[in-house]
Amino acid sequence: MGSLFRSEEMTLAQLFLQSEAAYACVSELGELGLVQFRDLNPDVNAFQRKFVNEVRRCDEMERKLRFLEKEIRKAGIPIVDTGENPDAPPPREMIDLEATFEKLENEMKEVNTNQEALKRNFLELTELKHILRKTQSFFEEMQDPALAEESHALLLGDEERGGQPMRLGFVAGVINRERLPTFERMLWRACRGNVFLRQTEIETPLEDPVTGDQVHKCVFIIFFQGDQLKTRVKKICEGFRATLYPCPETPAERREMAIGVMTRIEDLQTVLNQTQDHRHRVLVSAAKNIRVWFIKARKIKAIYHTLNLFNLDVTQKCLIAECWCPVADLERIQLALRRGTEHSGSSVPSILNRMTTKQAPPTYHKTNKFTSGFQALVDSYGVASYCEVNPAPFTIITFPFLFAVMFGDAGHGLIMALFALWMVWREKQLMNQRKDDGIWSIFFGGRYIILLMGAFSIYTGFIYNDFFSKSLNIFGSSWHMANISDDDIKNNELLELDPNVTAIYKPASPYPFGIDPIWNLAENKITFLNSFKMKMSVTLGVIQMSFGVCLSLSNYRFFKDPLSMFSVFIPQLMFLMCIFGYMVIIIFFKWIAYDASISYKAPSLLITMINMFLFKFPDSQDDYMYSGQKGLQIFLVLVAVACVPCMLFIKPYFEWRAHKSGKRTVRFGTVQMQVNGASEDTAVIMDQDEGEMPPPPPEGAPAHKEEEEFDIGEILIHQAIHTIEFCLGCISHTASYLRLWALSLAHAQLSEVLWSMVLHIGLGFKGWVGAVVTILVFPAFAVLTVAILLVMEGLSAFLHALRLHWVEFQSKFYKGEGHQFVPFSFEALMEDHN
Amino acid sequence: MAMQELYFNIDNGYLEGLVRGFKGGILRRTDYANLVQCETLEDLKLHLASTDYGNFLANEPSPLTVNVIDDKLKEKMVIEFQHMRNQSVEPLCTFMDFITYSYMIDNIVLLITGTLHQRPISELITKCHPLGSFEQMEAIHVAATPAELYNAILIDTPLAPFFVDCISEQDLDELNIEIIRNTLYKAYLEAFYEFCSQLGGTTSEFMCRALEFEADRRAFIITINSFGTELTKDDRSKLYPRCGKLHPDGLAALARADDYDQVRAVAEYYGEYKPLFEGAGNNPGDKTLEDKFFEHEVELNVNAFMQQFHFGVFYAYIKLKEQECRNIVWIAECVAQRHRTKIDNYIPIL
Repeated sequence: MGSLFRSEEMTLAQLFLQSEAAYACVSELGELGLVQFRDLNPDVNAFQRKFVNEVRRCDEMERKLRFLEKEIRKAGIPIVDTGENPDAPPPREMIDLEATFEKLENEMKEVNTNQEALKRNFLELTELKHILRKTQSFFEEMQDPALAEESHALLLGDEERGGQPMRLGFVAGVINRERLPTFERMLWRACRGNVFLRQTEIETPLEDPVTGDQVHKCVFIIFFQGDQLKTRVKKICEGFRATLYPCPETPAERREMAIGVMTRIEDLQTVLNQTQDHRHRVLVSAAKNIRVWFIKARKIKAIYHTLNLFNLDVTQKCLIAECWCPVADLERIQLALRRGTEHSGSSVPSILNRMTTKQAPPTYHKTNKFTSGFQALVDSYGVASYCEVNPAPFTIITFPFLFAVMFGDAGHGLIMALFALWMVWREKQLMNQRKDDGIWSIFFGGRYIILLMGAFSIYTGFIYNDFFSKSLNIFGSSWHMANISDDDIKNNELLELDPNVTAIYKPASPYPFGIDPIWNLAENKITFLNSFKMKMSVTLGVIQMSFGVCLSLSNYRFFKDPLSMFSVFIPQLMFLMCIFGYMVIIIFFKWIAYDASISYKAPSLLITMINMFLFKFPDSQDDYMYSGQKGLQIFLVLVAVACVPCMLFIKPYFEWRAHKSGKRTVRFGTVQMQVNGASEDTAVIMDQDEGEMPPPPPEGAPAHKEEEEFDIGEILIHQAIHTIEFCLGCISHTASYLRLWALSLAHAQLSEVLWSMVLHIGLGFKGWVGAVVTILVFPAFAVLTVAILLVMEGLSAFLHALRLHWVEFQSKFYKGEGHQFVPFSFEALMEDHN
Repeated sequence: MAMQELYFNIDNGYLEGLVRGFKGGILRRTDYANLVQCETLEDLKLHLASTDYGNFLANEPSPLTVNVIDDKLKEKMVIEFQHMRNQSVEPLCTFMDFITYSYMIDNIVLLITGTLHQRPISELITKCHPLGSFEQMEAIHVAATPAELYNAILIDTPLAPFFVDCISEQDLDELNIEIIRNTLYKAYLEAFYEFCSQLGGTTSEFMCRALEFEADRRAFIITINSFGTELTKDDRSKLYPRCGKLHPDGLAALARADDYDQVRAVAEYYGEYKPLFEGAGNNPGDKTLEDKFFEHEVELNVNAFMQQFHFGVFYAYIKLKEQECRNIVWIAECVAQRHRTKIDNYIPIL
């Protein structure tokens, strides 16, 4: 069985792990990533589980690590990614790790508080420095020279008050620049305009000691009179978080203070630098290990999370786990368990028992980097039911092919393929950088799909003979301009080439590959291509749909359902073949049987098909395509009609009979299949465990009941729906494949328009003007080609190809009712965190 | 009016979707049932991590305190609100500003009361609700009289028009502060009511109901709390918001009430409030009237999400979230103080 054709055979297994070995075993299984554990205590709260304390300790470790990481990033130190992937450390090492982190965190916090205090000090001094410097100018402006000898900063009051000098108090401080306007307004209001505020900006931004952000601040100085105002001003300053500094009143004192401040700043700067160095050293050493620590902490946490899913044995000696695992990998799982047991030094081996179950196993497809993209296309419609035919392997070819039918242009395909090839080529480097970019990661994830789409587009481009909407005359056209003179060409706008004249066209030697390039010049190019592409689309569609129906046979055989084989598959295939298969055959027949000489006799296929259903046939024998056409067509229609009741009634009838006779020989409804039982060496423990095992989850229960009840009406309705869906579906789906033609036409026309409306302008000029214009026009042409024809048209063709697969193809055989296998894997865990 | 709904999504569709998404993250009964089983705050944190709160406490060093949880809960709500507020356009942004005003009123009253009791302003600031913070807030202790409060501080805030009625009060003492709070609230509710009625459509339909309830609740509470204080009946009746269902007859009756039974008699006349008073009691095991009101409010707000294309969901979400914060904090307090008898007194939302 090809691994991608059907999902892996899965089995439910029970694990008996010794308490002391459980940790190591789960760790090994996590490295392996092939086991999906089931939650055996769904009713137990997260905080009431057994290993909740360990999980909590891990949370705490992670928190400390995140704190460290934040500090490291803030300091701009690169975190080394060695790509190393350490195993989960044994539980006893956890204490060491915790101690290390604890120590580091405390050290870091201490350094941070020290640094913060120093920085605050520094900030205060710098602000003071600025105040002293800036206020200097305020004082100078205001000082009256007549009072200069007085040691106080005095200002003249109003002259009207008899020249009595008034003593003005002042405060100076620093405030955030953005708060200044409100501050000013508030001061004015609260003090009724009796204060005088001067402010100036500090040009260099200052560093906030707590957050480390750069903040812009302002120096201000407020003059006022009296103590009441003073308290009020101070309150407002406090309210606005303005820092006030003592500012001496005389210039001499100020100068002295400024000098003192400067020296203190210098001293502080050296201390600060030392702290900074120390901090840097601590962080650099932490940065070396932090990634490994993170991985370790996360692995430990994941292990304890998993252990929390397990049941405790009555004796408390061992843990019981239930898990889904692929049968093919049982050996490896056993080995991993043995390794785990050895690591832990436990003498009792861990036991893995296979169990039988009625629950639907999860679906697991082994994919690689090439197939995973295509599997994802299928899975986004619905995860395959367990062991049903997986459309993904066929999608690998048909998807890019159908895409290319719509995107048929060798030039555009080439660009696309080269782009994808570059992504594949630089895979490793690209994978490491730019992980978070949304759109990019979509393109990158689908690089192999894009590569194939590009390659197939080159192929269909050559078939259509389209290269940036121009034809390539590689082999030399089979049409010749015989007996057409140069005068004819000059004088006539249009010339007719008659294929019946052998000098012009030799039927014996057609253009060897694809469409003859001469059609690109022809006036009736579109008519010719439309007819060809329409027929081709329908043909491809019918082939793909019949293939889908055939795949359903494979499903019936695998699930041992002979009834469906005869009552569903055969009528379905007959129905499809009698109508649409016949149509494809007469398409080919018409291509072969009619050549240019008798083309006037060729019947219209559409009319033929319609008449076939109306039982209307031409009178003269000449109008038939072949002898016996009438009889065959009547027969085919009758067979097709007869298929409908077969699909409708046979299956319900047999089911009803089987039910009546009491034994159910056939299964119906949900696909219930027994994994080929428990083999000889594994004990069947299902029955004896029934008592202590948790009740089966609800999704299993109703399916079980359904088997018991039998309602013939419901089954008939069900069958009728399926039959109608199929019969109508055949017609509408065949028509739906015409989108292949429609999109390919749209693409060809768009690229032609782009050529003639844009690049043609440049090429139309002669001489050096032409060269210049071409150079100017080409970028526009290139950008439009990429943006519209490649990206936009590519996306639309992609969506249509996707639809053709999801609806038209998969509806013929694919149920998609399964659930994904989600193994417990460290690798997936680490990817999530990245 | 129909056109309003047609164009609603142009400006507000994203935000409505967002708020409905946020609402989906509100804790359900099962979550509460799990929360009350917690033994320690660490358990609480572990359980909250599995809800929409995610790891909002992940970066808090243990031991955890109730205060930290409270702050983080508020922070999360405020971040969500601010995000929506920043994305909104008129008239939604005015609407959302209106929501914040009630928090501003609470903050102002808190700060004034605090300064009255000589508490340092820095300590008070931490207790303020972050949704109602404004720039001039910290300088509030400059003011010694209501007039000063208005002239110096509130005049630049959006609360200024609500305050005009309070300027006449003489000084800031305990009783006056309460009067100021209630007058402010009254003016605020009436203005908000007016604003919502002007918006029309479903918005006014829901918001008027919500604000009517809010107004009536205040009227009841004011009346009940005024018994045994020196507040005169005349003054009391001035504090009633006049946009509720009680206006005018019920308010007149409330103004005359002398004891709890008379208040209850007033509520008898109103089908909406009658059951609230009937179920309430002060005996152990009974729900208090306050809880009854909260329950009714929750029900009202949950119903806001039944209709589409209106602003009421934003109001309702904030109120529900606030209730949820109260619930979590209540449970956390009970857990922290090992006082489990009353742990079930939270108000489930969904």
